[in-house]
Amino acid sequence: MDIASSLAIVTLAALIHASFQLSVSVLTLLSGHAIGARTSQARVMRLTFGFVSGVGVMTLLALSFISLVFLHIFGKEAPQFVWAIVCGLLIGVGLAVWFFYYRREKGTSLWIPRSFARHLSDRSKATKSGAEAFSLGLTTVISELLFIAAPMIISALVLIQLPGYWQLIGIAIYSVISLLTLFSIWVLIGSGHKLSSIQKWREDNKHFLQFAAGGALTVLGFFVYVCKIVSDVSGTL
Amino acid sequence: MNDDKTTIIIKRKGQRPTESFDKAKLHQSIVSATLSARAPEGQADRVAHAVTNYVLEWLESRPEVTSHDIRLVATRHLRSHHPDAAYLYEQHRTTL
Repeated sequence: MDIASSLAIVTLAALIHASFQLSVSVLTLLSGHAIGARTSQARVMRLTFGFVSGVGVMTLLALSFISLVFLHIFGKEAPQFVWAIVCGLLIGVGLAVWFFYYRREKGTSLWIPRSFARHLSDRSKATKSGAEAFSLGLTTVISELLFIAAPMIISALVLIQLPGYWQLIGIAIYSVISLLTLFSIWVLIGSGHKLSSIQKWREDNKHFLQFAAGGALTVLGFFVYVCKIVSDVSGTL
Repeated sequence: MNDDKTTIIIKRKGQRPTESFDKAKLHQSIVSATLSARAPEGQADRVAHAVTNYVLEWLESRPEVTSHDIRLVATRHLRSHHPDAAYLYEQHRTTL
């Protein structure tokens, strides 16, 4: 796989990651509680920036960690069966996202364990400092691993094949693109947009977002399968 | 008007201990939701006062209600004062 194709796969995986909604929900709750508690706009921005930074750092660390583990286990090239398993995982998670991502009720509740959701909700209310917001960002990425693991794993498999310099660029591209949604919400909050409008937009478009994320995961799974397994097998015949 | 102590609130379908109705707690939650909708402080306080009084009247003949009932009644009345705040108040538990 050449560098351009590899980076294209990483970019698509990061876009899929960006379309997942848990961190956006926590950011919405965090800013809602902060504004509701008469916190100044500058402080709201510091809190929310701390949260976005925490999400960014944990995403960077998680992708680097998965890549490092793969590099140690497989070296520069993972065996075909691992690619096949990961493609299956992408398609499986894609189908699961289509059917189970949102709970069948009003609002934007996700199919994550309720204890996680309650903890994140309680913490977003209790968060008062930038450092707490940063750690809430770290925790949110861990809570979202169920969904983001698949795009991260495929990105890690693709990245370990690249030269060292391009690996770093790939990790940076993934981290920045996966933060695009959060960053947009942060800018909207900073520019004084109503949280109710943001939340209404999310609720009105939740089925589209769900379809897009599930569809993109499935397409990515098929694409990598054809690119990596079918082309390699047909090349050896 | 109903005395604060007389109505028992059943929380989360009985999964958490019951407690007496707390007027100040309801008032504060309405103020927070209204401020979150970027309303000025004075308006938030006025709206919260009106909604809390309405809920107190509704509670007069009810010795026992669930926290969900209170949220529904408060949301319905809040919607007539500030639809955006009502939306945020209603959505609070279903955002995550």
